[in-house]
Amino acid sequence: MSVELSQPGLVLSTTALSAGYDGRAIVSDISIEASPGKVISIVGPNGSGKSTLLKALVGVVRVLDGTVSVGGNDITNLPSEEVAKLGVGYVPQIDDVFPPLTVKENLEIGGYLLRRSEIPDRIAAVVDRFPRLKEMMSRKAGKLSGGERKMLAMGRVLMLSPSVLVLDEPTANLAPMVATQLLEEYVRGFADQGSTVLLVEQRAKSALRISDWTYVLGGGRVVLDGAPKDLQENPLFVESFLGGSSIPK
Amino acid sequence: MSSFGFGLITAAVLAIATVGFTMQFAVTNVLNLAYGSVMINSAFVSYYLNVHGVTAWVSLVGGVFTGSVVSWALNRFIFTPFQRRNLAPITVVIVALGVDLVGTFGLQAIVGGGYVSFRQSPGSEYHFLGMILSGLQLVILAICAVVLGLVHWVLKYTRLGKAMRATSANPNLARNSGVKVQRVISTTWLISGALCGLAGTVLAMNTGVFEATSAQLYIVLLLAAMFLGGPGEPYGAMFGALTIGLATEISAAYFSPQYKEVIAFLALLGMLTFRPYGIFGSEKTN
Ligand SMILES: Nc1ncnc2c1ncn2[C@@H]1O[C@H](COP(=O)(O)OP(=O)(O)OP(=O)(O)O)[C@@H](O)[C@H]1O
Ligand SMILES: [Mg+2]
Repeated sequence: MSVELSQPGLVLSTTALSAGYDGRAIVSDISIEASPGKVISIVGPNGSGKSTLLKALVGVVRVLDGTVSVGGNDITNLPSEEVAKLGVGYVPQIDDVFPPLTVKENLEIGGYLLRRSEIPDRIAAVVDRFPRLKEMMSRKAGKLSGGERKMLAMGRVLMLSPSVLVLDEPTANLAPMVATQLLEEYVRGFADQGSTVLLVEQRAKSALRISDWTYVLGGGRVVLDGAPKDLQENPLFVESFLGGSSIPK
Repeated sequence: MSSFGFGLITAAVLAIATVGFTMQFAVTNVLNLAYGSVMINSAFVSYYLNVHGVTAWVSLVGGVFTGSVVSWALNRFIFTPFQRRNLAPITVVIVALGVDLVGTFGLQAIVGGGYVSFRQSPGSEYHFLGMILSGLQLVILAICAVVLGLVHWVLKYTRLGKAMRATSANPNLARNSGVKVQRVISTTWLISGALCGLAGTVLAMNTGVFEATSAQLYIVLLLAAMFLGGPGEPYGAMFGALTIGLATEISAAYFSPQYKEVIAFLALLGMLTFRPYGIFGSEKTN
């Protein structure tokens, strides 16, 4: 019996969304859409609000205005455990695993909403995808290398066979080779199998290579968006991301 | 050697108490300084059941139940509302201190200042390995061992225990994995409160005579044992309690029982100075 690691994707979209901390908006007027089988990326300078936007999508940060929907359901300000139930898997930029728990326990928590009897098969399927994890099942997550840790973080969300994967800088602090492998093999792979992937990425070049559409965030707003091949020819984009910087923080 | 035997009981009871205290801190971020007053209140409920004809061991269940419910209610109606306001963490500590005073002296106002004791004979004496333990003390030791084993099993092997540890490590991520964090926290208070009630009641049984303020300085032992093992580490708590329990009883035998808390406090200061994350904790525990 084979266990599918992801469900057919769902459309994740926002309309005129604004969100932030303590009632103060960090991102405003964001309308984006991510659809099945595609990798949609978000790039932008440090502090431009990329993580805040993702957190607002998954119910970690409060939406102040506008809406978020997945598969046609309004999920605006839904508690994040409900968002998880609807098939949205979120891997945060930091604090993406439970350090004192073993690799196996991390995966079990990932499958918390499953029936007990389903868990072993799902763990086997996840480990099949990330074979590196196989030898470390009883090691504490806090003792993994950066790359292993990211695989575990992704493995944790795959336990629920999500329809939508929301990934916040999965390649941060990874060696270039590992980063490339992670993006091209795994992240692109999820989309190729039909999932919806929304990816925040610092490495603009690598992000463009695997994306179907890219949004550029600056100062909490979408300042530019387009297909990677068009962005690569856009002087503003080239100057900001592949050269100097003129996109506001 | 007899102080070693007595130290073993002290350590076993302290272990139960510290595990509950540490759980509250780890899973819910509350340093519950009112713990001692919940212990003594539980002991008194148990005592009143006992004097009204219930056997000591059945009344113990009443003490456990009291600790559980009172702790749950403290969290639900006092600590959580304060935490929700996003005040500095020290606020909740001060609130807990206030609850402790109200709990202790409120109890004293009700039951008076006199000493009481359970209607339970200590049972016959048993000698082994040079230690002298009463039948009562052997039962207490057995209860402690079973309960600690049970706590270990829950934390390590059950869905609830894993959810508790996950919540403790990273509540946002736990929530995001579908864990109902609020429910896990409530359950943690029920369980840790039961440990608190159990510890308070067996402590009172073991001491023989006790009064409303008997557990007032117990918080020092709890803090010392918790920091020795590493804040938020249940296994560290067991180890810390064993060390502090034996150290205080043995030193009490050589100097004076009055210095028990002083010894524990010195151990606490030493730990905070040299290894604030405890023997079992990692530097990131805080
Ligand atoms: N918990 C918080 N409370 C208040 N302000 C915050 C919080 N987290 C982030 N911010 C602020 O929100 C702004 C956007 O931060 P965010 O983390 O979304 O940026 P980012 O684009 O993800 O940056 P990076 O590329 O460095 O990850 C920053 O100015 C940051 O200081
Ligand atoms: Mg970020």
